[in-house]
Amino acid sequence: MSGTTQKRTLTALKRFIVSKTAAMILLFILLSAAFAIISKGIFIKPKNLVNILSSMAISAFLTEGVALLMISGKLDLSTGASGTLCGMFLAYILRAGFPLIPALVVTIVLGAVIGFINALVVNSMDIAPFIATLATSSVMTGFIYLIANKKTIDVSNPVLKYYGKGMLFDYVPVSALVAFAAMVVIGIILHKTEFGRNIYLVGGNPTAAMLAGVNPKKMSYILFSTCGFFSALAGITLVSRLQSASITGISAQRFQGITAAVLGGISFGGGSGGMAGAFVGLLILSTFSNGLTVIGVSPHWQNVASGLLLLFALTLDVLNEKRITNTVA
Amino acid sequence: MNVQAVKRVLKSKKALLLLITVVVIAAFYFVNPNYLSMDSIRGTMQRMSITGIMALGIACLFISGGIDLASSSECLFGGVVCGLLIKSGIPWGWAVAATLAVGGVIGALNAFLALKIGLMPFISTIAISSVLQGINLGVTNAQNIPIPNPTFAWGSRNLFGILPIPFVIMIVLIIVYEYVLKRTQFGRNMYIVGGNVYAARLSGLNPDRILTVLYINNAVVSTLAGIVLASRMQSASPLSMSDSQMDAITAAILGGIAFYGGGGDMSGCLIGILLLNFFSSGLNMLALESYWTTIASGLLLIIALMFDYLNERAAQRALKVKTTARAAAPGEAK
Amino acid sequence: MSEYLEFQGISKAYPGVQALSDISFRAEAGRVLALLGENGAGKSTLLKILSGDIRPDAGGIVISGEEMSFPTPRDAILAGVSVIYQERQLVPLLSVMENIFPGALPKTALGIDKNRLRAEAKAVIGKFGLPIDPDEPVGRLSVAYQQMVEIMKAYTRNSRIIAFDEPTAPLTDTETDILFRLIGDLKAEGKIIIYVSHRMAEIFKITDDVVVLKDGKFVKAMRTQDTDERALIQAMVGRDIGDTYSNLSRNEEYGDVLLEVRGLCTDALDDVSFSLRRGEVLGLAGLVGAGRTEVVRAIFGADAIEAGEIIFEGKQVRFTEPRDAIRAGIALCPEDRKEQGLILSRSVRENVTMPVLSKLKKGLFNMFLDRDAENRLTQEVIDQFTIRTPSINKIARELSGGNQQKVILGRWTNEKVSTKLLILDEPTKGIDVATKAEIYQMVCDFAKAGFAVIFISSELTEVINVSDRIIVMHNGHITGEVMRQEATEENVLALAMLD
Repeated sequence: MSGTTQKRTLTALKRFIVSKTAAMILLFILLSAAFAIISKGIFIKPKNLVNILSSMAISAFLTEGVALLMISGKLDLSTGASGTLCGMFLAYILRAGFPLIPALVVTIVLGAVIGFINALVVNSMDIAPFIATLATSSVMTGFIYLIANKKTIDVSNPVLKYYGKGMLFDYVPVSALVAFAAMVVIGIILHKTEFGRNIYLVGGNPTAAMLAGVNPKKMSYILFSTCGFFSALAGITLVSRLQSASITGISAQRFQGITAAVLGGISFGGGSGGMAGAFVGLLILSTFSNGLTVIGVSPHWQNVASGLLLLFALTLDVLNEKRITNTVA
Repeated sequence: MNVQAVKRVLKSKKALLLLITVVVIAAFYFVNPNYLSMDSIRGTMQRMSITGIMALGIACLFISGGIDLASSSECLFGGVVCGLLIKSGIPWGWAVAATLAVGGVIGALNAFLALKIGLMPFISTIAISSVLQGINLGVTNAQNIPIPNPTFAWGSRNLFGILPIPFVIMIVLIIVYEYVLKRTQFGRNMYIVGGNVYAARLSGLNPDRILTVLYINNAVVSTLAGIVLASRMQSASPLSMSDSQMDAITAAILGGIAFYGGGGDMSGCLIGILLLNFFSSGLNMLALESYWTTIASGLLLIIALMFDYLNERAAQRALKVKTTARAAAPGEAK
Repeated sequence: MSEYLEFQGISKAYPGVQALSDISFRAEAGRVLALLGENGAGKSTLLKILSGDIRPDAGGIVISGEEMSFPTPRDAILAGVSVIYQERQLVPLLSVMENIFPGALPKTALGIDKNRLRAEAKAVIGKFGLPIDPDEPVGRLSVAYQQMVEIMKAYTRNSRIIAFDEPTAPLTDTETDILFRLIGDLKAEGKIIIYVSHRMAEIFKITDDVVVLKDGKFVKAMRTQDTDERALIQAMVGRDIGDTYSNLSRNEEYGDVLLEVRGLCTDALDDVSFSLRRGEVLGLAGLVGAGRTEVVRAIFGADAIEAGEIIFEGKQVRFTEPRDAIRAGIALCPEDRKEQGLILSRSVRENVTMPVLSKLKKGLFNMFLDRDAENRLTQEVIDQFTIRTPSINKIARELSGGNQQKVILGRWTNEKVSTKLLILDEPTKGIDVATKAEIYQMVCDFAKAGFAVIFISSELTEVINVSDRIIVMHNGHITGEVMRQEATEENVLALAMLD
């Protein structure tokens, strides 16, 4: 028993060392070291590390939703718009006098409904997810302007403030804690439950999964809704942190989820990757943008850098795929 | 022109679209006769030209099965580059030529990423878009660049005092592209590549070369749109007012360009541009806030995609489903 | 000296498969050469090399003494080679005339001359004697006409070498006659013609020479007139096929009626009725496209049913999705292993356990997958079916075709699934001969174990020798039923080609 376990651990270890995740961890370490040196140590000061952690919360939520969809072979490009819309909606109904808890519930449900509508557009006419969600995000942008009416909406709620800005034991941002907890739960679902397994099966080959009793359409409705749910959480987190909702919202972060997921080894083809990888992708992404800020790169030029990072991630993904299909036909 | 051909035209989707366009225009005219005043029409023409020119490049890419989601960034980038060059004292003609060349380089980069490296173009062009937009903002520090050069202001003038120059440019491009599509071997090859890449390869074409030309073409045309915009405004803005990217795509698909490749033409695309723009200027006239236009054009895109599915794709699928079922004979591994 | 085409020592390997090894033979001008072989023998690979679609690892092509190399399809076309594939290489939204003339368009000063294009297309269509409108988009034509347009395309290219890959599969008799007449003309013009087909009658009707391939190797070349059907089949299969089948240990005792289908209609089927007992192997024969797959897909809940009844275990059922059919005890091993059967990127374990995950759980509220139980089950399946894999975590893509098929069989017949009706759609396609024999015995063993089995195959010898009873289909309906004892290739084929 212990012999086989040991052997299994050993092969797992071997596989890990040559895996992409290990390469990514190495990249993360190198990046951190570089930033630490260039910033003359500011980068690794505790205060900045806490900054990185709290900046990860929003992108973590975005990654979670999109990663699940991507593993199942689908994609959502509307997470920026739907998150912003949900944040705006929350601020609006809070100002209108809604109590916090019902307001939160309604907002999260709104996010899920938006996701469901995305699935509806994708499934009803077999439209490619990327263009369908681009179209719905255009509609949502209109609604954001409609609600905002050219103003930012202030929110002052102590509970939201604690969630958005508060620290546990002085060093752990509450929102990041929630986001990471969600990541762990998703990781367990993916690897330990039937539902999680079915996500991989559908992503690997929807026809085969269907013929083995999994319903890919139903799956896509569930996962698009889940993605909308997490986008809503991302939007809520931003509003809590800023204590206000503006029309830009999380739109600057709209492709962070995809970038982190791809960096973390979740490929566009579907059927591969997992939360551990996604977390590493997220670490790299957050380190990268925080590091650039710390060494004094303006936000404008950071756009350039994040575009390049996405290209880098995509290229790795493609090269990896090519390697697999070359070694085995 | 024989009777059969006339019948075919009447039954076509294009006729239906034209009818819808006329109905939309008539409806707005009925609400407010000012809608069809000379000034109002000219204003609509001015506005449609920028997204219209972009839509043409996108349409050509779609026909051959490519996609570029960086068009609007390329457009803004073109304006910024041209503005900066003119400001630095270069004659505007040279500045325009240089800017178009820069556009060509961007297009070649898009083609390289999609075709040589093998990235999915819809996402790699989004990344490129982010890069370009970052450069735009970084270089200009998010400020407008005024272009105080009266000779460069041709974009705000009218041909024969009637037709806005940008509109004329768009029409000329439409005629050129329509000629290429319908009357040249290259145009034919574009349809073949978009309709069935594998078949294109087996009939001796080089799909990558054709797509490369179209990616470059799209980026050049998009930067041209940016130059025209800068010329009209006499300033280059690094920030876009509306979502011209989505508008361009919507106009193309609305006009019957097959999203998945292989079908559509420029006359249809023109109708799509007209319909979209007369519709949104109608909404503007009703003094609705611009967000209604945003919402409406998003919905229009979804509707256009649904039409695309119902029409062209059904024909395409009739062939594809059966071919893939056979293509996948195992053992005879690929 | 007359023209010829010669393959010289062509080899091509794919990871895990030697698709072609050292193939050499010669095709003469003015003659039709039949290229024969089972599925997976390497015919298509050879044609792809001829058309420049793929490049051989070794060997070369010589045309009339000239060494040729075709790095791209364009080079092959310029050298005068046309290959007409099974998969139609057409552009659906373009018109017929534009599809017929993809290159070399007639031009005026203003560009392409549509009127002349139309006239030339009409002339070609007229030569074929078919009622096709040159302006019609090709996607709107019937499959048969699309195939004919494909042939017109090669015809107008005026190539000196024309290869046909099973051209008659979608054609009716009339269209087949037109095609044969054209092949006759081409032959008279001194073209080099290669003809791939599974239909023996056609081989003897129009070909002059025969080359047989098997498992990627050259078996023999001969004159068509010097051979007969039996000898050809023996050469293709590589042994006297009688033995494999007579050695099968079959199930002799049937149970009660498990499945009854009455008047089943879908968009591809018309009034299909039959019944099946436990322990019985029912063969579904017919040509490709006759509706065999559609029957089982409808039963399985994968396609919509328009009319008719399905009675399973005495109860009327109508499954709206495969999940329900699986719950009731029906299993489908689909016709295309790689596209529909396996999840190639996932492990053997995940591929085996996918329909029974709900029975492999543990922990709080029975929420979590029981990895140990999964491993045990997979190991049992590997042992039972002697699947050659280094570990249960091997990616399915890396297994050979036969082992992949066994993974699917194991998925549906292990102790955790409650399969009562096992549907096998082309289970031996692209599988080597030894594994085929194993699979035949497995089918009989399933019947002995009390499964009712539906066995679909395009290989006539196989379906009439493995099944206890054979239902023959044509064009969406059943044209006859034959018991194994009475079944011959001739009487089954006659029913399959009934008009």
